[in-house]
Amino acid sequence: MPSAVTLSQITKSYGSFTAVDRFSLEVERGTVFGLLGPNGAGKTTLIKILTTLMRPSSGDATVEGFSVLSAGKEVRRRIGVVPQENNLDRYLTARENLILHGRLHGMKPAEYNPRIDELLEMTGLAGRQHDFPDTFSGGMQRRLVVARALVHEPRVLFLDEPTTGLDPQSRRALWEHIRRLRHTMTVFLTTHYMDEADALCDRIMIMDHGESLADGSAAQLKDAFSRAHTYEVDFRGDASGFREILEELPFVRSVEQEGATFRLTLSGEDALKPLIDSPVGRQIRKICLLEPSLEDVFIALTGEKVRE
Amino acid sequence: MLRGAFSIWGRDMLVLRRGIISELVSVVAYPLTLYLAFGFGLKGYISNVDGIPYPLFIAPGLISMTAVNAAFDESSWSMWFHRRVQRTIEEYRVTPVTVYDIVIGKIFSGFSQGAIKGSVVFLVILLLTPFRIDFSHLPAYLLCLALASMTFSCLGTICGTVIDKPENIGRVQSVVIVPLIFMAGIFFPLTSYPAAVLPVVRLLPTTAVFEGARGALLFGAVPPLYLINLVLTAGICFILAVYTFNRKMAE
Repeated sequence: MPSAVTLSQITKSYGSFTAVDRFSLEVERGTVFGLLGPNGAGKTTLIKILTTLMRPSSGDATVEGFSVLSAGKEVRRRIGVVPQENNLDRYLTARENLILHGRLHGMKPAEYNPRIDELLEMTGLAGRQHDFPDTFSGGMQRRLVVARALVHEPRVLFLDEPTTGLDPQSRRALWEHIRRLRHTMTVFLTTHYMDEADALCDRIMIMDHGESLADGSAAQLKDAFSRAHTYEVDFRGDASGFREILEELPFVRSVEQEGATFRLTLSGEDALKPLIDSPVGRQIRKICLLEPSLEDVFIALTGEKVRE
Repeated sequence: MLRGAFSIWGRDMLVLRRGIISELVSVVAYPLTLYLAFGFGLKGYISNVDGIPYPLFIAPGLISMTAVNAAFDESSWSMWFHRRVQRTIEEYRVTPVTVYDIVIGKIFSGFSQGAIKGSVVFLVILLLTPFRIDFSHLPAYLLCLALASMTFSCLGTICGTVIDKPENIGRVQSVVIVPLIFMAGIFFPLTSYPAAVLPVVRLLPTTAVFEGARGALLFGAVPPLYLINLVLTAGICFILAVYTFNRKMAE
């Protein structure tokens, strides 16, 4: 399948600080691609380069085959952008915001009016189309920004942390809208919400310090980065002396205890039988595999230290 | 060509239309107060300036002052607000319009606001006071007003583009714009200046605006040197505004 987005050795530096370092990527058409990373990882810089708001220090990127360096206008014809912060025009009504966007894309009233009706219906804002965005809730404003980005029927939609600051209901409603777009266009999403990436993305890339750390589907990432197998084990009766015994076993990598429940990280699946055969094996009441979450993968790759 | 600029200008005019009454009341109040206070208050002390009755002497300048102030205010605050607060400039920039469309649209908005507000003040002064002109002089005056509005709209655009803190826009107005306006002979003849200072004052763009406006409105022609000054200043400011905005957006 041809690529909707291609980044070739993109570097962006500010003086001695390198925000993105020789970053390369290809995103297939019709997929929902998620770029994950902590604050300052370089996600927004990449979106700004791809949407022609910023020029890279070196390298090139294409959107639908057009270079962001030499064919910025063609790139902008084909993209829709939902920025991190709502940049709605508070002096225009919801409908006027969408009309202005259509006009800036060179659309005529006969083209943009039916499309705007359809989008206002889709985002549940038809009844508020003549109201000013200031009177909207955060979720409604976000939906309006998404609707605005779709007026000209873009081929690639960029969403930069689209649900940050929204309540759970608004987040879910926005996810629904994004799901509906799947396969009709390419969606390039940045987020630091793991559940969002898990729920929406066909492919996820985790980046930090301007570099890609992992790439694949959510399931592939969880599988590849679970590294060791972690099990939750309950023992019968008094398990007070078991911790020392478990820590002595050569195939046990780590032991965490909460009352009679232990969380054991084993060296692999083949360590299960020796565990059952060990001195504590007869006392095992229940054992279950703990599936790693995408958040575990993310923390394992990017560390636990809080970013500024 | 310039489709984006017209869309942005159209947006600004729609917003202006919505609040036109309150806008005009506040815009008219200031020059009208000055006209009444100085024109009538000082009439008994200053009968004629260079043979022109004092209220008639200050009226063209007051109308032009309204226009250039409105052009500067609209361009500077609008550019700053759309860039720093509402971030709508960023929204414009991810559409197929160019940075030239954006800056030209904004300059035209400032120019239009200046021209509209200046014209309204002119009409109000005409209606409420004995100030009368020969209407055949109007085209020359409107040309002068348009060039002045363009210059100040470009200056405002430059300020709104490079200044990030709003209080600094206010400081530019207090330290640069207001002195430039009041030094340029709205209320007194330029011959009041010492001879050594006069050539410098005559070169100020605001002098060209106010002296040019007075010449146009009262005598039907903008003095040629002032006209050249107005055209050159408007042209240079336009190029500077486009260049500055383009550079800022490339950062």
